Amino acid sequence: MIRIGDDAWQVMVDHAEAVFPNECCGAMLGSSDGETKIVTVALPLENVHAGQQATRYELRPEDLLKAEKAARARGLDLIGIFHSHPDHDAYFSETDLKNSCPWYSFVVMSVKAGRYNHAKSFLPNMEQTEAPEEALELPATNRSA
Amino acid sequence: MPKVMIPTPLRQYTDKKDSVEVAGATVGEILGTLTTTYPDLKKNLYNDEGKLRSFVNVYVNDEDIRYLSKDKTEVGAGDTVTIVPSIAGGR
Ligand SMILES: [Zn+2]
Repeated sequence: MIRIGDDAWQVMVDHAEAVFPNECCGAMLGSSDGETKIVTVALPLENVHAGQQATRYELRPEDLLKAEKAARARGLDLIGIFHSHPDHDAYFSETDLKNSCPWYSFVVMSVKAGRYNHAKSFLPNMEQTEAPEEALELPATNRSA
Repeated sequence: MPKVMIPTPLRQYTDKKDSVEVAGATVGEILGTLTTTYPDLKKNLYNDEGKLRSFVNVYVNDEDIRYLSKDKTEVGAGDTVTIVPSIAGGR
């Protein structure tokens, strides 16, 4: 299961709403005790998809390297990736699956009419054929609709 | 010897090392030796056909090997090989 801390969550919600109606994306830094992953820092990253950003996102590999270095500098690990689905539910799409990486948790945030709505986390497999849902724990005070 | 930088989630397969020095003159040789030394790393980097998985990018210093000579890209003694995930998506 993955738990997202208050500060990190606020950064993620703010970023997803600010970037609406485009998809946002970013890195989640934290630690893991083997069973529970705890995200303490969220880093918004640029969506570098060259086409329609309302339906697609792409991370720059260099930005992932930077996120990894930022994590190490804080004594944390890069443990997850987040992105938003503007005006759509939080599910792991075929596009998400085909461009995923099994090394990370993938949190998808649904943003409807510019406001955060709900989120889910997924764990894609190595063959990019399935991504079971992972239990996601959000701060109790989130601005969920 | 060239140095290979290991991304955090894969360090569980490299005795927790964040970088490993590996002898070799090309990316193919270096990754071949690396995955022989650390066999559990292999399935994370290569598919059953022995091709690099689509979510694996390899850089030599700051250059993506896809834009160089792929696994035949030459690597010098002072160079750094970096494994970087490729991530995108949509809805
Ligand atoms: Zn998506």
